[in-house]
Amino acid sequence: MKTPTKPIKPLNLILLLLVVVFTIFSCANKKEDAPKKIAVVISTLNNPWFVVLGESAAGRARELGYEATIFDSQNSTSKEAEHFENLIAAGYSAILFNPTDSEGSVSNVKRAKNAGIPTFCMDREVNSLDGPASQVISDSFSGCVELGEYFVRKLNKKGKYVELLGLVGDNNTWNRSKGFHSVVDYFPELIMVAQQSADFDRSKALEVLESVLQSNPDINAVFCGNDAMAMGAYQALVAAGKEKEVMVFGFDGADDVMNAIADKKIMATVMQSPKNIAKTAADLADEFINGKNDFSAKTPLEVELVTQENINEFGNYGSKK
Amino acid sequence: MSKLVKYFVFIIATGLLLYSSISLEPLDKHKIKQDKNIFSAKDLAANFMLNETSSLPAIDASDFLEGISKNVNEYCSSYGKKLGISSDYNFIIEGIGTVESVKEEDVLVSLVNSDKLQILIATDFIFGNTIRDASGIADIGDFQNTMDFNNISVELNNIVRETIVPSFKQKVKEGDTLYFKGAVEVNIKRVNLQKLRVIPLIVKFNN
Repeated sequence: MKTPTKPIKPLNLILLLLVVVFTIFSCANKKEDAPKKIAVVISTLNNPWFVVLGESAAGRARELGYEATIFDSQNSTSKEAEHFENLIAAGYSAILFNPTDSEGSVSNVKRAKNAGIPTFCMDREVNSLDGPASQVISDSFSGCVELGEYFVRKLNKKGKYVELLGLVGDNNTWNRSKGFHSVVDYFPELIMVAQQSADFDRSKALEVLESVLQSNPDINAVFCGNDAMAMGAYQALVAAGKEKEVMVFGFDGADDVMNAIADKKIMATVMQSPKNIAKTAADLADEFINGKNDFSAKTPLEVELVTQENINEFGNYGSKK
Repeated sequence: MSKLVKYFVFIIATGLLLYSSISLEPLDKHKIKQDKNIFSAKDLAANFMLNETSSLPAIDASDFLEGISKNVNEYCSSYGKKLGISSDYNFIIEGIGTVESVKEEDVLVSLVNSDKLQILIATDFIFGNTIRDASGIADIGDFQNTMDFNNISVELNNIVRETIVPSFKQKVKEGDTLYFKGAVEVNIKRVNLQKLRVIPLIVKFNN
């Protein structure tokens, strides 16, 4: 049997409509009021330099009024691709990106661009001019030219040395190596006895140099593509009792290496400031979100040579005393 | 008979299709064509040094030194060129000077028609991006891989070291009067007018 339905009174109907309309509008307003989101995708949080880069980028984005989340790609392009899929689906407004691989990361950047999300590369570049909105990179080449000149003078233009390279798929690895060799190779009495990759990793650098020292115990210097490897190389020299006779050179301006330079354990490094890189990238993303879209494809940032002679002028990670 | 005609037409049509879709060329010619599309820092640098240095706009060396000593920040931001966010500014300068001394890594010259202004012309440790960035020969934004951009500097420096410096070092002696044009870098955080070094692009002896 069908129960008879009561007709709704006109007043109740109006009230009901008002409630529905009010609910819809208040929901829409809430969405507009919610802060826009910026994703910070970092190649690895296993290295303190990148932790500072990621946290500085997220911190600056929050200062500018955005909700910021950090994603760790764990040095894996597939993990990085997963992050990009998720953050495209989650409707982020911009990506501050530290790529894992200059070639392998291009497709992720392009996927974000196709979804209307701009990517701003930090520190490492991708091999694409039209993918990222802009790339904020350290001028690694110039830094290593300056480091190379210092290296040559410290070794009096002669001696044997080892080079520890970073990740071979990263352009920074080769820009640093190329800058260094553009100077050092000009001096024929400086002989490179080994050049091996230690993937920017401290413990791998320790292992690699320990092995190199067995066949080349008479080296005078080690040039490392980053500070983590410089610390690993120094540990290997300590284990071999050679830390006083072999000079170690790094790149980054990481906290432990800055202290080691002050303690006369490491000879020099090149200071690249993750804080400046992160701030510049976050500011560019903010400008993009607010309507600007004509950015320079690449924005190089200057780096500075830090030695035992000028260490007192510097704090860690790019801050000047 | 009609089958034979059909086969004949089919073979001709297939042959025509294959002929128009495949083109054969000698491997060496194909490689030359490919190489033409690959960026060559060496070619760019060689062309610049051979054809563009003499017409390159340059600041008078005396004006440059006076401007830098008066207000380095203002002068650099008005007349210098820099790469990205940096405190290194680059200039192309020219002048006539008298050789005061010939040292291991540079030659000290006193600028004529100036009040005791002196500058060094580099003859060793010719590295870095000064020539590239002062001349504006290339824009980093045009290079997919920054290594290509940096290779331009390597090649420019090689040419200076291999062609300009050896003949300059061989001829130069104290008291010579010479015309020079070259690139110089100024870091506004640590200015030292006595240590400014010009990387020579052109050197001509007047005597």
